[in-house]
This record gives sequence, structure tokens and C-alpha cells, in this order.
Amino acid sequence: MKTESAGKLQQVLDGGGFAVTAECGPPRGTDPEIIRKKGELLRGCVDAVNVTDNQTAIVRMSSIAACAHLVAMGIEPVMQMVTRDRNRIALQSDIMGAYSLGIQNILCLSGDHQTFGSQPDALNVFDIDSMNLVHTVLTMREQGQDMSGYALKGAPQMFIGAAANPFADPFEYRVIRLAKKIEAGADFIQTQCVYNMERFKAWMHMAREEGLTEKVHILAGVTPMKSEGMAKYMANRVAGMDVPASLIKRMGGVPKEKAPEEGIKICLETIAELRDIQGVHGIHLMAIEWEDVVARIVSEAGLLPRP
Amino acid sequence: MIVGEQKPISEIKQIVAPYKKILILGCGTCVKTCFAGGDDEVAVLASALRLSCKAEGREIEIEEQTIERQCEDEFIQESARAVARNQAVLSLACGAGVQAMARRFATMPVLPGVNTTFMGVLEKPGLFTEECSGCGDCKLAIFGGVCPFTRCAKKLINGPCGGSQNGQCEVNPETDCAWHLIIERLKALGQMDNLRIYQPPKNWAASLSSGPRKLIREDHVI
Amino acid sequence: MNQRSKCKVTIFHCINVFGDGDVLPVGDAENVAVNFVKMPCSSMVKDVFLLRAFEAGADVVAVLVCAEGACRYVEGNLRAKKRVAWVKALLDEIGLDGKRLVLFNVTAGDTPTAVEYIRKAYSLAAALGPSPAAGGCRPGVGKAG
Repeated sequence: MKTESAGKLQQVLDGGGFAVTAECGPPRGTDPEIIRKKGELLRGCVDAVNVTDNQTAIVRMSSIAACAHLVAMGIEPVMQMVTRDRNRIALQSDIMGAYSLGIQNILCLSGDHQTFGSQPDALNVFDIDSMNLVHTVLTMREQGQDMSGYALKGAPQMFIGAAANPFADPFEYRVIRLAKKIEAGADFIQTQCVYNMERFKAWMHMAREEGLTEKVHILAGVTPMKSEGMAKYMANRVAGMDVPASLIKRMGGVPKEKAPEEGIKICLETIAELRDIQGVHGIHLMAIEWEDVVARIVSEAGLLPRP
Repeated sequence: MIVGEQKPISEIKQIVAPYKKILILGCGTCVKTCFAGGDDEVAVLASALRLSCKAEGREIEIEEQTIERQCEDEFIQESARAVARNQAVLSLACGAGVQAMARRFATMPVLPGVNTTFMGVLEKPGLFTEECSGCGDCKLAIFGGVCPFTRCAKKLINGPCGGSQNGQCEVNPETDCAWHLIIERLKALGQMDNLRIYQPPKNWAASLSSGPRKLIREDHVI
Repeated sequence: MNQRSKCKVTIFHCINVFGDGDVLPVGDAENVAVNFVKMPCSSMVKDVFLLRAFEAGADVVAVLVCAEGACRYVEGNLRAKKRVAWVKALLDEIGLDGKRLVLFNVTAGDTPTAVEYIRKAYSLAAALGPSPAAGGCRPGVGKAG
């Protein structure tokens, strides 16, 4: 059983289309205008806007609230939900609350560890892991029950997403883990940013061989780089990120003021290559604090108009 | 064993500040092994405290004793006379030992000199690692003898997070990724299929989450 | 009384460093009250011994060990080095100044160097003055070293 009135993202993916989503980080404060501005920048050029949940463990406006602001604007959100900060009681409660506010997509994550954030002295929760969260949303949707087996009066009919990182180790286990997430209930997968195309293709190949691309929609993560420094930072400082030296060199090979253009060019080439990979059903654009570039990239990639 | 670390002298000095006559009481079992509270550490701390107080012109009289275990009444009794002679006890036992002492001596301040850190293993001389969090529901059979609840910083039970690289944990590159270890071990055991099975949410009811636990062995209760 | 007017230095040394027959700088001429503690191996300097030397009134404690790689017990002098570093940090923490504890490597049989290091310990004691936990050099005394 799938959602009766499926959201746009689900319609595009189930209809065999190539989906486009983009990321939107809520503000470190209460101003909804910031969300609305980011939403406006993305309106019409993506199928859904992915709203982060206290990303990098920095306290921000809640993902649910930011998603609700987008819903009110007529923009479809994907609500990220991490298991770092809430136990199963709060998670389930928030899933139901979110659905009641018109939020139809969820991306289930474990979340960045609090040691990377603004409050490393916080207690983390991790009552359940991201796999368990995927399965919880599935059980709510398919069985209409919460984790205790209680029959819900109105079950969240959510389109369920999960993350995968083809670039983390151990490589051979990454596809097993993907299979497990699909088994647990993931409808779509968002990957870590793709820079190392060779490795991504190898991962996709394994996924196809296991028949996984038939069971799940894979959206490849894409992040345009603004500078050589950013490329280096991601290569060296962000765990689980794989930026080949050749790309860093390319970013460094142009004058500083031309670097953002080069980053966009690389991004467009990446998207073109991704579209040719069998089983890649869309892209997820993470233009970190560079939301105004999304429309241009989507347009120049030939992905407009959106359905 | 239980692993602990002696508190910084500055904090210990603050803790014992109200007293002029103290007993530093060591514990000869776990904390001795990890160099936090055995007889050697009692001697060093006593000497350091005396020197420090002398340098500041502060008076302090320190008595030193180490008993086998501060978590058992049978051994605690051996300290009773020394305890009675002093104004306070600075215990170098783990938190359990400190509390057992406090329970035994109702009117005597029993102060902690050690930060109890974890249940762990002596990996090599001078290196102790945390391996068990006493969750009350052991699943090591599935995970090839490596505990993800304790050794994965995110307590993931269905595989590694996206930050595992080169066998290291993203939270602390000095720490092995528990999932890397689990996978290596299951490969060696030929049990990789364990990892294809979905692990349902952990039952934390058996853990400290349900409040302090009690273990009763009826056959030993008189 | 006379003792307290001099700097007090305690020297722990392994038997490799110098023998009983060697002529060492001791006595009134040095204006130092020195105490030698001979050990079969420098690895036997437990942290508590070093601290107790300070408790006994030392202004400076020196540990003379054999050259790295030359320990009869393979790693004895490495252990001594680590322990000295540990106690130096502890001394800093308790306000005694870790500089009061020093370690020197001496090649076995090189008595002139051993003598030089011992004198260095003396001048260090003079320079640092009395230990706050002991009271050593009196003003105007012991500056000659």
C-alpha cells in the first residue's frame, strides 16, 4: 500500500522520472522569513526541498517547523529526522505530528555526532538507529501501528528515505547495508556527495547486480564547490567524503574569482554523467549556503521544467 | 575491570579543603590495575598533597591505607579504625566503592578521588579501552564479540555510519570503528550473513534506563 | 642547622653511571648537602620515591641514567624518563615547579660528564632557590655553584 495522494517527489520517482531535490538548512533562530526566502529560491526548480535536522549537531530551528513553513508556501518538503536527539517515543510522536502538518516525505538518519557541533557536552540519545527509524515509519504506514503495536487513528503515509554513503569503508559492506535499508522500508536513497565517479559507478554496479535498483530510487548527492579551499576541506576534514585530488587540482587551477564557475561546471558534468548511470533516479543538490545557484544548475543541466 | 582515573590534584585539594586530618583509602582490585587507586597511587597522592599543602603553608595530616576492595563490607571493615581516626576519607575506589564506604560509615564524609570512567580491558601496558556498558542484554554473539552499543559512538546496530574510513571512527580517529572490527571479525568467522539480518530496536529496559538495577541470587541470600 | 643553610640535592643514579670509587663533587666546598641514592637500574625510581625526596627537603632531584639503548634491562632508562616526565608534570600541578626534577643520560664510565651533570644539578638548586615545600638555600648562600 502506498500513499493515497502521493507527494510530488513520489509521483516523479514512481512515474519513472528523474527527480531533483535540494537542501535547505533552517536558521539558527526563529525567523521564518529565512526559510521562506530559501523556499522561494528553490520553487519550481526542484520536486522537493530537503530540510536538515540540526545538521552538524548545531542547534537550529526544528526541521518539522521549517518543513511546515514550506508546506504553507505550497512547497513540498522532505523532513530529515535524526535519531541522535530523540528517543523512540519522541520520534514517533514527531512523525505523526509532522504528517498532520502536511509533511509527506521523511529522510531517516542517525545524525552527525554531537562532538562535531556547537554543544559537544550534550548527551546523545541513539535509542534506535537510522535503520530502525526507517522500519518504524514503514510499520506505521503499512500496519498502521506504532512501535508498541498500538493501532493508530490515522497512520502517517510517508514516503521513506534513507541515506547511503558509497565512499565510506568498508566498501564491500556498503551494498549489504543498502540492501538492509531497502528491506527495512526505504523507498528512496540519498547518497553522500558524488565526486569520485569511479567509485560511485562501482557501487551502483554492485547495487544493480544485487537487484537493488529495481527496489529503490537512488538519488545521487551533488554539491557544487565554491573554491579550492572548500574542496580541500571536504577532502580532508569531512569524514566519509571522497574528493579526488584531480578535482582539487582543477579547482585550484583557475583564478580565485573564477573558482565558483569552475565548481558549477564540475557539478554540471557530474550531473550529466549521473543521468547516464542505470539505476540513478535523480539528484539531491546540496548547495551549502549557496541556495541561489540551484536554479541555475538545474536549468543548465537541462532538468527544467519540473513536472 | 572497572577503569578510573585519578582526579586532578587541584580538584582533590578543593574537595579535601575543609579537613585537616584525612585518610586516603586505596582499593586493591580494579583501580589498582589501572593505576588510579592502588597502594602506589595512595602513596603518590599522599606525598603530593603533603608537598602541596606545605608549599602553601597549609596544615594537613594524611593517613594512608589500601584495602582489597571497597565494594565489599568484609574488606571495608579493615579500614574502620583508620576511618575513625580521621575527619574524612578520600577514597580512591570507583564510584561503587565510594558509595559502599559512605553507606558503611554514616557520619563520615567519604570523598571521591577518582573519576570512574568505564568497564574495560587492558589492551596493552598503559592502555585501557572501554568495551562494555553493562546494558543487561548482551548481543555479542551476533556481532562477533565486538559490542556496537558501547564501541560505536552512535550505538548503531545495523551497520557502520557513513563516517567510517580506514577503519577509524569519525568521532575520534584514535578509536577503531567498532563496525570495522565487527565486519573483520565476522569475515574471519565466516558469519557475514549475521549482518544481513535486520536488528530490531534495542530493548533498553534491562539497562540503567529503567533505574538502578539489582541482582538477587536467592541461593546466596540467608 | 648548618645543613639547612645549604641547598639540598638528591641524586638517584643507576650503578651503570658511576661506581663507588669515582671521585664526585661532594662536601662543604660545593655548598650543597647532597644525598646519593644508588639503584641497580634507573627504572626503579618510582614516582613516590622522587616525591619523598622532595618531602625530605630536596630543592632539586636529579636522576642520572645510562645512555638510551645501553640499559642492561633494555628499557629501564626509558621507563625512568617517562616517570620523570610524569612527576615533573605533577610537581607543576602542585606548585613545586617541575624544573626541580631533572634527568641526565650518562655513558657508563664517563665520570667527567657525570660530575658535570651533578654540578649542573647544584647550580640549578642555587638558581631556583629553596623548594617552597622544604626551605633549602638561605639567602646569600649557595650562589657559588
